[in-house]
Amino acid sequence: MDMDFAPEDLAFQKEVRAFLDDKLNARLREGAANTPSVFTEPDITREWQAILAEKGWLATSWPVEDGGPGWTPTQKYIFEKECAIAGAPSLPILGLRLVGPVICHFGTPEQKARFLPRIISGEDYWCQGYSEPGAGSDLAAVKTRAERIGDKYVVNGSKIWTTHAHHANWIFALVRTDPSVQKQRGISFLLVPMEQPGVTVSPIITMANDHEVNATFFDNAETPADNLIGEEGQGWTIAKFLLENERGGSCAAPALLAKLDRIERWAKEEASGTNGSMIHDPNISQRLARLRLEAQAFEVTELRILAELAKGRPAGPQTSLVKLTSSNLRQAIDELAVDLFGYEGLQLPVTRPLYGNEAPEFVGSRAAQLSMPAYLNGRAYTIFGGSDEVQKTIIAKQVLGL
Amino acid sequence: MNFDLDENQELFKAAVERFCQGQDVAARRAARAQPGGIDRARWQELAELGLIGLAAGEADGGMDGSHGDLAVVAQALGHAQAVEPWLECGFIPARLLAGTDQLAGVIAGETVAAFAFAEPARRFVLEAQGVKVRGGKISGTKQFVLGGGAADIFVVSAEDGGKTGLYVVDAKAADVEVRPYPVADGGVAAIVTFHDAAAEGPLAADLGAVIDEARMMAAAEMTGIAQRLFADTLEYLKTREQFGQPLGRFQVLQHRMVDAYARVESIQSAILRALLQPAAPMAAIKAHVAENAIWVAHQAVQLHGGMGMSDELGVGHGLKRIVLLSKLFGDPASDILDYARAA
Repeated sequence: MDMDFAPEDLAFQKEVRAFLDDKLNARLREGAANTPSVFTEPDITREWQAILAEKGWLATSWPVEDGGPGWTPTQKYIFEKECAIAGAPSLPILGLRLVGPVICHFGTPEQKARFLPRIISGEDYWCQGYSEPGAGSDLAAVKTRAERIGDKYVVNGSKIWTTHAHHANWIFALVRTDPSVQKQRGISFLLVPMEQPGVTVSPIITMANDHEVNATFFDNAETPADNLIGEEGQGWTIAKFLLENERGGSCAAPALLAKLDRIERWAKEEASGTNGSMIHDPNISQRLARLRLEAQAFEVTELRILAELAKGRPAGPQTSLVKLTSSNLRQAIDELAVDLFGYEGLQLPVTRPLYGNEAPEFVGSRAAQLSMPAYLNGRAYTIFGGSDEVQKTIIAKQVLGL
Repeated sequence: MNFDLDENQELFKAAVERFCQGQDVAARRAARAQPGGIDRARWQELAELGLIGLAAGEADGGMDGSHGDLAVVAQALGHAQAVEPWLECGFIPARLLAGTDQLAGVIAGETVAAFAFAEPARRFVLEAQGVKVRGGKISGTKQFVLGGGAADIFVVSAEDGGKTGLYVVDAKAADVEVRPYPVADGGVAAIVTFHDAAAEGPLAADLGAVIDEARMMAAAEMTGIAQRLFADTLEYLKTREQFGQPLGRFQVLQHRMVDAYARVESIQSAILRALLQPAAPMAAIKAHVAENAIWVAHQAVQLHGGMGMSDELGVGHGLKRIVLLSKLFGDPASDILDYARAA
């Protein structure tokens, strides 16, 4: 038993580090570090995406024949870990990690040829149409209707929490094509162009003052019938594939540990007002230590999953814990940052971005200014992509057999 | 023994409820959008109801309300999610300005006063250090001055002769620099720098005593907000249907709400203890209230799902106000540590 990477993996790690050192410019680092929301804005991600595309390191979860780099699970992990440590921007994952793999797996050759290159080039920006006002945790209750009329589908209904719909030119949506059958069976997976009169996007501002999500309305919106992925009624299966794909190997702990390192640095600089820096504050230092221990253990959990995948075995049941653990850790870390900064942690900027020349003036430090919006925005981690309560029910049933 | 509100307290509570009637998210946002984050007309209205004067003594033209009377007002304002800074610009200045000429204007709602106590790099320390008074002139920088963007006068804690005193400074004076910035609850705070500005004082008020009273009021307001969020969430769980039934039918959510209920009752009791027991440890009680109120608010957001994240709902506003109040004059962790050390 050991926890070491093989020599060839260590060589790859060196290569990744050198690449990141070379390509991650100050603007990208600042944009990534000073984004309090879950998703990074396109002005930052597009530049980073182009750099990775040029290197062939962009669509890391796609098969080689569709444009993936052909990495082993270990290489994928190392790349993500090094990106997290270096503070690289996140990528527009709705295209690259969600709809991309779906098209790779279920798409026709024509669909692959039409959509995949445009995801890599960044010409297409995708958003996801899953939740609806009446279908949140209960995703199978989607009502948005798509009716086949001739060689196209006509879509009516509404989607909610559509992340970056205001930037997107395409949406992949779960739509009801057959209202007469049992609810999961009547759902299809449909690609719909956003730039048409029948699609309206209305912003939803979060309590953190971020515009990240929207409500998206379809009023006789149209899409060619060959934008159906798979077959009619296969939408639920595809949605499940997508979730499982999301859970096949993860690398969340390194970013959490990196954030804890930053908090430690800030704590050393933050005055207690009475007794040197906040690093000596018993509350802050104990919470920092506890969260570190938990994040370090979580890192090993992810490595245990990786070890299985690297041997070509199916990922273990621990995979089901990844989202739950990382969300809750993330929230606790964000709370710690707010608490570290005292009154300065209570500033809440109303404008974005918080990087570049347009960033509003901060009180104390930029890190202090970021802490409150990050904390507030991060309350969503335990809600989106299957709330904690839904996750626990699934784990109780499927893993524990209760 | 009797925990009922008395007749006057019922009237104060009803006055607050009337004042806040129809103040939905849109109305509250409009009020916040006024210069400095305060709607002066609404502020005047609040004053005319006697709700600021309640915090001032009779000799100053106030109504000399008891702690119980004042806590009822704070809790009702919290429950209604009022955006008017009654605590920051009403209660606290009314206490600090006891016996001064400026108090009448504050009671009448004509003068907006803000309390400047926090200094950069001093965290929650209340002794003034960076802001000094020498020969009637004040200099130095304060931050986190709540309501500072709208203030006509500042009540400032400042060092003079090694002691912290309280001084009144004209906010519009040329040698007073005010830089407003937005804070978590949607309000506006300010960084205020005094460049040898004229300062009146020291005032007679006992700063430590007023801070403890303010902690009591902050705790009462947090309790009101937590009760409101609890009630709103309960209603939501009874009406929102998923998987073919109301969310409230799911056992995990039932148990969560029972936990929330227990916490809401605990903080109501803690407030009553603070009001009715002489020499109750105010900072520690505020910490207890804050920790439980934050837990309840987090659950309110979580159980409202995506809607709880939206700025269109009072749930997030409640969380943000609770978080801000939880750190006013010390955060729960530091207050509990102080309490443990003193015990």
